[in-house]
Amino acid sequence: MNAHRTDVLLRADGVSLELGGHRILRDVSLEIRDLVRPGQITGQVVALLGPSGMGKTQLLRVLAGLNAPTAGEVRLTPRQVPVRPGLVGVVAQDCALFEHRTALGNLCVAGRQAGLSSAAAKAKARALLGRFGLREQEGLYPAQLSGGQRQRVAIAQQLMCSDHYLLMDEPFSGLDPLAQSEVCRVITEVANEHELNTIVVITHDIRAAIEVADELWLLGRDRDEAGRPIEGARIQATYDLVARGLKWHPDIARAPELPPLVEEVRRRFADL
Amino acid sequence: MFVQGAQVVMPNRRVSSRALALLAATQAALALWVWGSASQGVLPRPAEVARAVGALWADAGLGAALLTSVGTSLEALAITAVFGLLISYACVLPIFRPAVAAVTTGRFLGLVGLTFGFTLLFSGGHALRVSLLVFGMTVFFVTSMVAEIRAIPARAFDHARTVRMGEWRVVWEVVVLGTADRALELLRQNAAVGWTLLTMVEGLTRAEGGAGAMLLDRNKHLRLDEVMAIQLCILAVGFLQDRALGALRRWVCPYTSLGRTS
Repeated sequence: MNAHRTDVLLRADGVSLELGGHRILRDVSLEIRDLVRPGQITGQVVALLGPSGMGKTQLLRVLAGLNAPTAGEVRLTPRQVPVRPGLVGVVAQDCALFEHRTALGNLCVAGRQAGLSSAAAKAKARALLGRFGLREQEGLYPAQLSGGQRQRVAIAQQLMCSDHYLLMDEPFSGLDPLAQSEVCRVITEVANEHELNTIVVITHDIRAAIEVADELWLLGRDRDEAGRPIEGARIQATYDLVARGLKWHPDIARAPELPPLVEEVRRRFADL
Repeated sequence: MFVQGAQVVMPNRRVSSRALALLAATQAALALWVWGSASQGVLPRPAEVARAVGALWADAGLGAALLTSVGTSLEALAITAVFGLLISYACVLPIFRPAVAAVTTGRFLGLVGLTFGFTLLFSGGHALRVSLLVFGMTVFFVTSMVAEIRAIPARAFDHARTVRMGEWRVVWEVVVLGTADRALELLRQNAAVGWTLLTMVEGLTRAEGGAGAMLLDRNKHLRLDEVMAIQLCILAVGFLQDRALGALRRWVCPYTSLGRTS
């Protein structure tokens, strides 16, 4: 596959985070580069994996600018902008929406916040809802939507105002395999709409992560000489799925490379 | 029918509105029967109370008195809504938090002890009635409303920030609009509190009339049939006002009852 990585789109340098006297993240450095496939628009999807309680959501909050790191910084490149809330879209685990607004209203208010006129926000919102198969649900309130519909509205709302970055916290949580595949399809579709579109998916579902991402990051803690975990998680390993031939695989579920990689990541999980 | 009958004694079951109406009618009939058969000449019987309602309505101006009370109640409720919401929303600003906390402690103060001060401030009459009612409702309304605002999860604020809302806009969207349905529900509950206070404050300035003044007058002369008649009328008016406020809440915030499972 003729694909290569070029410019850095998102970079975290030496990010540490302490909360309530506990070190959650320790010297996390990472970067996401533009994945280029000649003749095709290809966005980036990175999956951040790690056992529960390792600080994945806290890292997401730092990457979104919702938590200021104790040390280090996150920048959105190529303009080298320090991250702040609103520059990076976030779809939380509970797919937060404004419960007092309809699906269309939720998207329109985000569009207005991004500087669109009322008419332009409504037109863009309707186009997005149409693209996500939610045109008929535009007048429904979040409480009337199914879990999948709610997730798509939440993604669409963030797309109304974030430039190219989207962070998703546990998007596969509690989904059956069919729904999981549908979410993977939506993520891939959103990522591939623009060359600079960059999605970070936080999950502990190894198989789903491999199915959707082009790169895996494993978050975990180092251990001291006695084997005790050291406080504060870091990126322990990265897996380039493009290099491993798993990205754009026509039938990844049956790819012979998949089981050994799942097993390899699972083994690493036990050490984190 | 038997299946429905079994459902009403099982916890957390939903029953049809028809079954619920049947239950209500049965229990009301039972209450009337107990009342009628257990009065023993001490309490007036239902028929005597019904006659007293008719007489009060025709000869003593009960209708006008109830209208006066409803007017006072609604006026106080409107003022409570404005003051109570402003004070409650002020709790998002650290500078106002001690003052808001002080307002919430006002619910421990008895209205009787405050009457003198309020009389000096408002020199009696309608203003005294309304101000005492507003005070009585506001301290409870603010307490409940502040608890609602504090219960908003941090992730709701974060969500608003991720769609580029500044902190004032976050307050508008998450605190003001996001709690509008609960604010209306709390106002509805405080309107009921207002009716329990109304009889007391109407007794302070009886010249203006009202159901409370009439009630105190009948109570003084031990006209128990008329006391119960007025109480029942107050109950009916309060119930209707409660239903109207509930309908207003569903109209203003149609999302409020969606997705409710039990």
